[in-house]
Amino acid sequence: MHDGSGRIVVQQLTKQFGPVTAVQNLSFMVEPGSVTGFLGPNGAGKTTTLRMLLGLVTPTTGSALINGVPFTQLGNPARVVGAVLEAQGFHPKRSARDHLRVYAAAMGVDDMRADHVLGLVGLGGAAARSAGGFSLGMKQRLALATALLGDPQILVLDEPANGLDPEGIAWLRSFLQSYAKAGRTVLISSHLLAEIEQTVDQVVIISAGQTRYNGPLDNLRKSQQARVFVQPSDANALITALREENISNVEQLPDGRLAIGGVEAKQVADIALKAGVSIYGIEEERVNLEQLYFSLTNGQYTAQGQNPYGGPPNGGGWGGPPSGGVPQGYQQQPPSGGFPQQGYQQQPGSGGFQQPGGYQQPGSGGFEQPGSGGFPQQQPGYPPQQQPGYPQPQYPPQQYPQQQGYPPQQGYPQQPGNGGFGGNA
Amino acid sequence: MGRLIKAEFRKILTTKLWWGLLIPTIVLAFAWSFGVGKLIQSIGDGIRSDDSFQRLGISVEHLSLGVFALSRGINIATIFPMLFGALGLSSEIHRRTITTTFLTAPNRMVVLSAKAITYVVWGLVYGVVIAALVAAGTAAGTGGNYLPDAGGFLLILLAGVLSCLLWTLLGLGVGALLGSTTGAVVLLLIYAVIVEPVADLFLHNSVVGFLPNGAADGLTGSTAGQILIDQLQSLTHTPLVQVMGQHDWDTFLNIVRVAAGAIGASDWWISGLIFLAWAAIFFGLGLFRNQQRDVT
Repeated sequence: MHDGSGRIVVQQLTKQFGPVTAVQNLSFMVEPGSVTGFLGPNGAGKTTTLRMLLGLVTPTTGSALINGVPFTQLGNPARVVGAVLEAQGFHPKRSARDHLRVYAAAMGVDDMRADHVLGLVGLGGAAARSAGGFSLGMKQRLALATALLGDPQILVLDEPANGLDPEGIAWLRSFLQSYAKAGRTVLISSHLLAEIEQTVDQVVIISAGQTRYNGPLDNLRKSQQARVFVQPSDANALITALREENISNVEQLPDGRLAIGGVEAKQVADIALKAGVSIYGIEEERVNLEQLYFSLTNGQYTAQGQNPYGGPPNGGGWGGPPSGGVPQGYQQQPPSGGFPQQGYQQQPGSGGFQQPGGYQQPGSGGFEQPGSGGFPQQQPGYPPQQQPGYPQPQYPPQQYPQQQGYPPQQGYPQQPGNGGFGGNA
Repeated sequence: MGRLIKAEFRKILTTKLWWGLLIPTIVLAFAWSFGVGKLIQSIGDGIRSDDSFQRLGISVEHLSLGVFALSRGINIATIFPMLFGALGLSSEIHRRTITTTFLTAPNRMVVLSAKAITYVVWGLVYGVVIAALVAAGTAAGTGGNYLPDAGGFLLILLAGVLSCLLWTLLGLGVGALLGSTTGAVVLLLIYAVIVEPVADLFLHNSVVGFLPNGAADGLTGSTAGQILIDQLQSLTHTPLVQVMGQHDWDTFLNIVRVAAGAIGASDWWISGLIFLAWAAIFFGLGLFRNQQRDVT
């Protein structure tokens, strides 16, 4: 029997669908008491991983354990783990209440639970209606009600925000947080960090079927390495002065400005003053979390090492892209101290990006607007002003990134054999 | 297991399929046996005057030719419990409720076992309904003549009920094996209604009796034939085998079974065992496939 720990352990999980590797050597751990986000672009293997965890898909190799045992050894699994999965169907002619009563019988809970969970997810008034007439959001609520039927210790949700209105998302967020606060485990997948940023405490980020990051979201947040953009009267003098202070992460931009990494604006201003260099403008760049996530899930970046832009690390160029440097550090030393990242850098799968995609030469005018960060090519599909406000209830639905759908070719590298799985689109 | 059987019953009773399929079952069972019964009545009336039977000391009006209407009515109506079974698991795969079903069950083996038990019970329900309607249709069609006695009736109808629940199980297995509602329904219908009846024309009789449809028909057909032959035997004082000779006797047996709709059938219990084996094979294959299937 299971140990009742509420812990999910995924160990070196691999799934091969014919010639396609959907999940490759994936390992991570999910602890009770917090909401863990399971992030990755569409086709990264999230859905396949969750389905392997739930015994619906047989792993090629590796294991996925819930409370120390595989799903099929949980006994009465629905009392331990409840799941909301995509492509989870309902009989169109069966009423919501009947649907729940079927599964209440299967898991051996009282029929009263059916109405109780319907009330819990706000479907109390639609209990007698057929699921076939439900909207996408109502179906998601009914799926959640089914998951909650057995009062499980662990909740696994695959893209649950799909189809939910802003109010529903806000409700789900607070619901999941209180669920986790009660000492239970919540694992929630998404392809959008912004969507779950305010919900989760921990994140597991995967890409191309492999773990990129596994740890607290706060650590990821703190790792945001800011740069300072400065317009000096004499760039060379300032560079020399900075060198004397052991600051060598300096990049000269085409517009004459300097981008200085690993410092604060105040520090730069002080050094400039001491060196007698005038400063016409100074700005601090904030690398936002979404870009960090993006760089983590971009295999090309990690595969090509520290400096894909070519310049020698210390030779007058800046020492690597701002957010590119951070994930490197993470991969070598996961701040969570939890799972080693299974050597994915050697895996051929992550090296297969032939085209640079969104990443081009810095000289392409990308730093004209420092506020928008270093990856202007991402911006068209992903207006930065949408990110902070997204989970707010008052947000008009049409501004949801996931409902607009940004074109994948802008955000995600075209990766052969990686688009067919997950079913998240 | 008990919990899952309860869940399976709720699945069936909260949707309309069970009575949606029961309506054509009722219509077909009655209509078919009524039609065959009518035919039997006219044939019976025709041969009543025939000399050869009178020379053997057999009075045709005492022959229970109506057994053929019973067995043929049952054999055609079993299509519906077969389809009902075929949709048992495949419709869950089609509607993707299978995900929740697997998530709420200890393992897949238990799910399919619970379904097997549930659908055998429903096969029984269909069988009883079919038996009742076939009996009514035969009685109405023959105008109350040429009917077997109560024991004979019961025996054929029991064979029919058994046939129904085995067909349901076989259908369930094929549905689980193919994982597709359309695939299972089309394949079973084409096989049972077209492929085997046509193949029966070309294949040797002894082979036909071993095919699924032939074996199932044999279960009821041989029971019906046996009743008639026993009756003939009881009407003559010398054993019919001696009267006819072994070769003619075998031919006669075959003719009776063909008339009962069971070409090349063995004795009813052998046909029954062969059909049980077919049902078990397909259910086993479905079970095996169901264990392997990735639910994506």
